[in-house]
Amino acid sequence: MASNKKYWKSVEELTNSSIVETLSKNEFVEEIPTDEFLGDKESLENSSTTRRDFLKYIGFTTAAASLAACEGPVRKSIPYVVKPNDYIPGVADWYATSIADGFDFANVLVKTREGRPIQIMPNKEANGTTSARVQASVLSLYDEKLRLKEPTRNGETITWTDADAAIGAKLSALKEANTPVVFLTGSLASPSTNKIISEFITAYPNVKHVVYDAVSESGAADAMMAMFGKRALPNYHLDKAKTIVSFGADFLGDFHGGFEKQYVNGRKPETGSMSYHVQFESNMSLTGANADKRVVLKPSEQVFALLNLYNAVTGSSVSSKATPVDAEVKAMAVELKKAGSKGVVLTGLNDKNAQLIAFAINKALNSEVFDTNNTLNTRQGNDAEVSQLVADIKAGKVGGLLAYNVDPAYSLPNASEFVDALSKVSLKVAYSTENNDTVNAMEFALPAPHFLESWGDTMFDEVTYGLAQPTIQPLFNSRQLQDTLLLWSGNSIKYYDYLKAFATENILGGSSWNTALHNGFYTKELSEAVAFDSTVDLSAAASALANSARKANGFELTLHTTTGLGDGKQANNPWLQEFPDPITRVSWDNYLTMSMADANELGFANPVRDNGAIDGNYAKVSVNGKEVTVPVIIQPGQAKGSFGLSLGYGRTFGLKEEMQVGVNAYPLYTNASNVQYGVSIEKVSGNHEFACPQVQKTIAGRHDILKVASLKEYKTVDPKDHHHGWNKPAYVSYDHKEVEANTIDIWDEHNRELGHHFNLSIDLTSCTGCGACVIACHAENNVPVVGKKEVRVGRDMHWLRIDRYYSSEVETREDAKELGLSRGEMYRALETEAENPEVTFQPMMCQHCNHAPCETVCPVAATSHGRQGQNQMAYNRCVGTRYCANNCPYRVRRFNWFNYANNDEFDFNMNNEYGKMVLNPDVTVRSRGVMEKCSMCIQMTQATIVKAKKEGRPVNTDEFETACSSACTTGSLVFGDINNKEDEVTSLIADKRAYNVLDYLQTKPNVVYQVKIKNTNEA
Amino acid sequence: MSHYEAPIREPLVLGDKSYHDITEDIAKPIEGKANKNWYMAFYISLAAMLWGFGCIFYTVGTGIGVWGLSKNIGWAWDITNFVWWVGIGHAGTLISAVLLLFRQKWRMAINRSAEAMTIFAVFQAGLFPIIHMGRPWNGYWVLPIPNQFGSLWVNFNSPLLWDVFAISTYLSVSLVFWWTGLLPDFAMIRDRAVKPFQKKIYALLSFGWSGRAKDWQRFEEVSLVLAGLATPLVLSVHTIVSFDFATSINPGWHSTIFPPYFVAGAIFSGFAMVQTLLGIMRKVTNMEEYITRLHIEYMNIVIILTGGIVAVAYATEFFIAWYTGSPYEYYTYLSVGAATGPYWWAFYSLLLFNIAIPQLLWIKKIRRSFIWSFIISIAINIGMWFERFDIIAIVLSKGHLPSTWWRFEPTFVDVGIFIGTIGFFFVLFLLYARTFPVIAQAEVKTILKSSGEFYKKRREQGIPTKPEIKVAKPAAKKESKSDKKDKE
Repeated sequence: MASNKKYWKSVEELTNSSIVETLSKNEFVEEIPTDEFLGDKESLENSSTTRRDFLKYIGFTTAAASLAACEGPVRKSIPYVVKPNDYIPGVADWYATSIADGFDFANVLVKTREGRPIQIMPNKEANGTTSARVQASVLSLYDEKLRLKEPTRNGETITWTDADAAIGAKLSALKEANTPVVFLTGSLASPSTNKIISEFITAYPNVKHVVYDAVSESGAADAMMAMFGKRALPNYHLDKAKTIVSFGADFLGDFHGGFEKQYVNGRKPETGSMSYHVQFESNMSLTGANADKRVVLKPSEQVFALLNLYNAVTGSSVSSKATPVDAEVKAMAVELKKAGSKGVVLTGLNDKNAQLIAFAINKALNSEVFDTNNTLNTRQGNDAEVSQLVADIKAGKVGGLLAYNVDPAYSLPNASEFVDALSKVSLKVAYSTENNDTVNAMEFALPAPHFLESWGDTMFDEVTYGLAQPTIQPLFNSRQLQDTLLLWSGNSIKYYDYLKAFATENILGGSSWNTALHNGFYTKELSEAVAFDSTVDLSAAASALANSARKANGFELTLHTTTGLGDGKQANNPWLQEFPDPITRVSWDNYLTMSMADANELGFANPVRDNGAIDGNYAKVSVNGKEVTVPVIIQPGQAKGSFGLSLGYGRTFGLKEEMQVGVNAYPLYTNASNVQYGVSIEKVSGNHEFACPQVQKTIAGRHDILKVASLKEYKTVDPKDHHHGWNKPAYVSYDHKEVEANTIDIWDEHNRELGHHFNLSIDLTSCTGCGACVIACHAENNVPVVGKKEVRVGRDMHWLRIDRYYSSEVETREDAKELGLSRGEMYRALETEAENPEVTFQPMMCQHCNHAPCETVCPVAATSHGRQGQNQMAYNRCVGTRYCANNCPYRVRRFNWFNYANNDEFDFNMNNEYGKMVLNPDVTVRSRGVMEKCSMCIQMTQATIVKAKKEGRPVNTDEFETACSSACTTGSLVFGDINNKEDEVTSLIADKRAYNVLDYLQTKPNVVYQVKIKNTNEA
Repeated sequence: MSHYEAPIREPLVLGDKSYHDITEDIAKPIEGKANKNWYMAFYISLAAMLWGFGCIFYTVGTGIGVWGLSKNIGWAWDITNFVWWVGIGHAGTLISAVLLLFRQKWRMAINRSAEAMTIFAVFQAGLFPIIHMGRPWNGYWVLPIPNQFGSLWVNFNSPLLWDVFAISTYLSVSLVFWWTGLLPDFAMIRDRAVKPFQKKIYALLSFGWSGRAKDWQRFEEVSLVLAGLATPLVLSVHTIVSFDFATSINPGWHSTIFPPYFVAGAIFSGFAMVQTLLGIMRKVTNMEEYITRLHIEYMNIVIILTGGIVAVAYATEFFIAWYTGSPYEYYTYLSVGAATGPYWWAFYSLLLFNIAIPQLLWIKKIRRSFIWSFIISIAINIGMWFERFDIIAIVLSKGHLPSTWWRFEPTFVDVGIFIGTIGFFFVLFLLYARTFPVIAQAEVKTILKSSGEFYKKRREQGIPTKPEIKVAKPAAKKESKSDKKDKE
């Protein structure tokens, strides 16, 4: 509807539109005299805007413009558009899974935050244990440098479809021609995978499955095969043992995967009895360090000692030779016989004959510790088949090689021959999680997912069926081996469905798949018992063994693995590289260990430099015509005439430059024998710079730091006895009277009754020094890695470290007095380690003193005491005077000397987007210039409190945990609330073994140590 | 003011000086041109200073990691230099305040420069607590400023906070005291100045000093009051600095002897530095007649006394370390453990430079020798640096837990910053020597007739020292009159 109404604003507009029209064309009623103004110099000069004003305006505008241009860096944080139902941002999810990477095997729990796995803890319900390497493997998941990202052929990226087609075609051709194809894997310990492999072999009968362990324990498996008809590793229930005799078996290290939990369970002083453990060894191993008695013996002599023990226990007289320790061996034979079925003998020699002799002794003792039924599947490698394979490849008999997660091009003693011979193989496929020399040598490289991205099952022993489930979407374009094999076998089923069906049918026996998956494991009945074949010719084995040892000449070399790097799979993991070896405390290196006597003769030394770091000389070591040049560390307790060298280092291909450390010792690992005879050594020029965060080796007579007592003393002597007490409190003079230091106090006590009060108890008896806690702390608290150079100058950032102390020949000042030493001599003696020292590990972290020396000295009150007993550190308040660190008698405070995150100088996990995914979002990443230290995992305790509060209940007994206490598989670290009388820690702090380090200072720590009890004077 | 002084006392002003001569002598370095030596010294110092500043920027920009420190040794050269410079800063106030209260006239020739040295040294000292922080840009958090960060406040328990107060108080009182003393002298320069710019600057600096009797009265009163205020500071500053160590828990630091021992050591090192500076300055600025052997000897006597106290303190520390029998005390900086440990060279340097060499001063000939005093003063400077280094580095290198035993090695940045502060110090001092009256001429004039050589000799010879006798030298009389006028 049109309207003819007219609206007007003025009478003029209504009556005479022309004026309005004219006006409306001229927006400004008066003309602006721009030209006039600018053209007239005079008026310009008279204008009120002076040059100064003009400059002011310009200045302001520029400043305003540039300020407006400044903007803080934008960090994108994108919320879920559609939130997955089971994620609550900020709340961690835990998944039970299993790790089996061919060397490390564990039932674990994985903590994920916002879909990212950030921590690995032992699945204690499944009796799972985690080593430092297992703890650290979560970081290897995010190793963007080393992980394979796409399938490639000769280095060119291809699609999975193309890869399948090309490989499939070749496989078929080889099948047609019936040319042998070898499928080379590490120890898988996965029943479903084994089944898939056998199905694959059914489809391709020309395929042969060969198991290759880089660090082999084939000898034990072969011995088992010979004696019990089953190729597996025997199990040792060390918790049942009364007497343990080990000939170089590092069973707290990597021997059969480690037995630390069982070992420690058999050594609880409060039960009144502990196993008596004697270690005959040449290297100082973790096991030897924990032994009640450690007998230093060269490898060849270990053989004869073993044979002598066999003769003494069984009464046979197999061929042997006298050793310098025959008296000890005889005594041990008596002990073993006394212990009967509770005695056990182990040997670490990777030699079938040696293992047979040890088995025979155990059998003669009828040892219940030695278990041949519930055997271990953690090492299945077969040395004979592997060497046959290499020979076949060289001979051109092998048409195809599929290598799955093994790196023979690095870890074979004759790796270069192997690589050269590969040209004779027509189908070369490397199926691997990580890039390595073997991948480099092969035609096809197929990315396998990390175990945290995979489905799977495991069978480490014969009763625990473990399940593995992915905890994150695959980061890269990887596909599981099992899926691939199923596909190649022509089976269209997905591995998940296959696994579920397999488990349900064969294992679970009617119980729920979901429950098993939730728990991460299912306990089976032990199916079958093996039969003992008594016809094994032991005397032949003994004489073969003796003959091999008789050949020993020159120096002897023991090749071993380290706690940090193991077989070297995780060599690109900065946490593990920075992890100081429990024994030598050297990080970022491997080295030749040498006795002081040999070092003096050969002219080797470890001088301490002015910056506190230690240096070393290089030695050229040659065995069987192979040479390596390694730096030397002088190792107390190393047998004279023998050396030790660790495998797993010296990897270079694909690794970050910082991680390319150490020397590859695999070339010396001939015949997979961890003992090599006929070693010659030569000092060569050059100075090696070690990164070793602890230089002083002994406790220097300061026994209020470290207390050790024998089981007999523990049982019979009053700990506080003035003369013989083994846990004497500190006394101070007060009012001219000697009083216990803790009875006087110049400070007001905090009220500790209210709420929670956290304490941590550390049992030095059950701490084996394995270092899982160190890595757990790394992961939980975003502890930065600083690199070799910085560790060298004493700037490692470990919140939790494990101090290692050797005993000295003169242990106490009283002893020195008796010997009539002068003061100078006494201190020198106390500072010098013994030739074959006793070793004690002392985990050391912030002691959370109730009277904390650090708190009073901070000028800005950045560190203060929490109501729950923690000594707290407010990073953003810290100005970095470092006074607190200087005033900390435990020296546990760590200073951020540089920015360790987003800094190319420190190109570790905090400098790339993948590596940062492992960071715990609950813990701040500290900037440079601030102090940091152990917080007693306050983010964990607070989460526990909040959880209980939300569920409307009090916190449960023993519910509080820290990262270190939950990682500790031996139960050495116990954390809890002492205001809860039921908590385990409450009784522990009242234990007669409990003491505070440096109690004379009366810092009143909330960390309590338990005196180390050794079973030294009681058999 | 011209009191009678016994003729056996040596004169404090040598030569036949009139008031005007003094004025001329003092004003000469300011009004004249600098010589080549000055420029050479200045440029070397400037280069050192710039190098030091570069090192400081590098530190602040990159992180404290560019120093040689480690997890076990959190302080080394930084706090060593801090304490060293603060110690040097002690002589000035002692000379100007304590000696004023004790009416020691010989201080007049040296107090100006000693105070200047104090202030410049405290500048250097003050640098270190700031730059040794991990986050120096937040350094103001150590000041109790009302803030909006929440309920954050400084920690009054911390000796470092006490340091903040002690040093800033000391610096401000010293500065005011120094300036007050400078007023008549600045006025003198102002009145002589011919260039308008110079005149304006000195007019500003002299705060409108008019020379009236009232000015002089207030000047004397303020000096006395400030001297009274400054005297306790002489004792308090280094006492508090020593608390950084004494209140801590480290064996070797935790020592009740520290406060008096540190104060004595500070005066010891301060006087040594005054000797060093004056040894150069009296030559360069031709002040030989004002800074005489007597001054040098008096200062050397103070050095012997404070050095003796320090030596006794060392002996006590060493004895106690031995006597306690504590295994922790065995490794302190003054112990057999230190003497035989990796820092034996620092240990023996300390003993050599601080105890052995200063004993030479017992010999009168040496005590009165300019060159020997200079050499010994350098030795003491080095020795006192080592004392602080030993206390800090040796003690921290042998902590409670043997696993934390470590060593310290300085990096080029540590060295660079130290050299930089020395450069900075000398830059300031050289500028001062060219722009400030280096001797408190107004005060020296007050003792000219009692302690001047000329007048003393006259008196000795029985010749009256009244102006009348100077009729024979009309020119001199005239000058002195005009000078008096000038002064008023």
